[in-house]
Amino acid sequence: MESLEDFYKDSLVILESVEKELLLRIDLLRHYYVLSGHTDPVEHCKSRIKTPYSMKEKLKRKGLEQTVEVALSEVYDAVGIRIVCQFVDDVYQMVELLKKQDDIKIINEKDYIANPKDNGYRSYHVIVSIPIHLSDFTKEMYAEIQIRTIAMDSWAALEHELRYKHTIPNAKMLAKELKRCADEIASTDLTLQTIRNVIIESE
Amino acid sequence: MKLLLAEDQKELSNALVQILKIKGFETDAVYDGQEAYEHCKKNVYNGIILDIMMPKMDGIQVLKNIREENIHTPVLMLTAKADVEDRINGLNMGADDYLAKPFNMQELIARINAMIRSKNEYLPNEFNLGNTIFDTGQRSLMVGSNSLILAGKEAGLLTLLLSNAGRLMTPAQIIENLWAGEDEDNSVSEMELNISYLKSKLKSVKSNLVITKDETGISIDVLED
Repeated sequence: MESLEDFYKDSLVILESVEKELLLRIDLLRHYYVLSGHTDPVEHCKSRIKTPYSMKEKLKRKGLEQTVEVALSEVYDAVGIRIVCQFVDDVYQMVELLKKQDDIKIINEKDYIANPKDNGYRSYHVIVSIPIHLSDFTKEMYAEIQIRTIAMDSWAALEHELRYKHTIPNAKMLAKELKRCADEIASTDLTLQTIRNVIIESE
Repeated sequence: MKLLLAEDQKELSNALVQILKIKGFETDAVYDGQEAYEHCKKNVYNGIILDIMMPKMDGIQVLKNIREENIHTPVLMLTAKADVEDRINGLNMGADDYLAKPFNMQELIARINAMIRSKNEYLPNEFNLGNTIFDTGQRSLMVGSNSLILAGKEAGLLTLLLSNAGRLMTPAQIIENLWAGEDEDNSVSEMELNISYLKSKLKSVKSNLVITKDETGISIDVLED
């Protein structure tokens, strides 16, 4: 299997910087937010650099040349960050905090929490660009940030598993059950948020 | 339990109201069909007793009108005539039971109780109001493809509000329906919390239904834009 270095070559260092930079900024936001008397809106963060295999598949699907140059200029999720929050309002809070960062440009955002996908998928997606400073120039790099609750994250993990297992006999029934489960989870997320608001208001 | 009694013979009506009171029913008495119809639109009842022969609008017409307004409150028809056609007509229009005059008072009470007991069987399994659908079987709240599945109590509350859409219910009426026999203070705060759940969930699916709660009562209405 092709390694990250094989495909991304010198650019891998830059992609890793984007990953580190974004994680660092999120970490700083959390710490500063807690220091100013709030509760930490983030439960945990994950990140990844897209594997050469799935990057090439994506380029193929888009009918693009499968080179690192095209990958970095035409595909926005070579770097992916996932922010997992405890409560729904925290997700929106994180979106706001990210938008406040002057040098982070919002390229595109999709609120799949307000507008869930047909299969029940819920998450907030933001495509950003962030400057990476090198010795003789600055490069604007793309990354995709997905923000969601713990419950949405567990759901997505299971849905992902179902999608990539083609040998499951009753996949259709399971997909229907997952959709129902997504609607129950979203409902429970809102119930938790409401109870949390009652607790905060009565403090 | 609150009843509406539409009976144009005042003496019979007064006697019924007294007996129903002893049996624990609070009864609004009206004396013609038009008034009965207006009361049904404005208020929430656990049961409605309609005389068939009434001035202004007969009982069958009142029944027809309230069912068209999606009022699913159980209805018992009273008829002076032992007319089979009237009874069939009433039942076909959505009456839940009938009683021919003269009737035994104990039988009337027993029939009212039976009718209210089986109320839930008469609820539709899908409400369609404004841009919103609520499937009571699946407990699924839907606006287009955006849906949420509600938990038991909030689903019960939404069903109750929707079956009385546009009409004010008092907290006491809601508690009587959904928290009967439970600790009162606890029931009030549980009801309020469930109202908050529903508000946030209606908002989340972008429903144009709004729940309003003030001193006069609680209701669900379609938000006009």
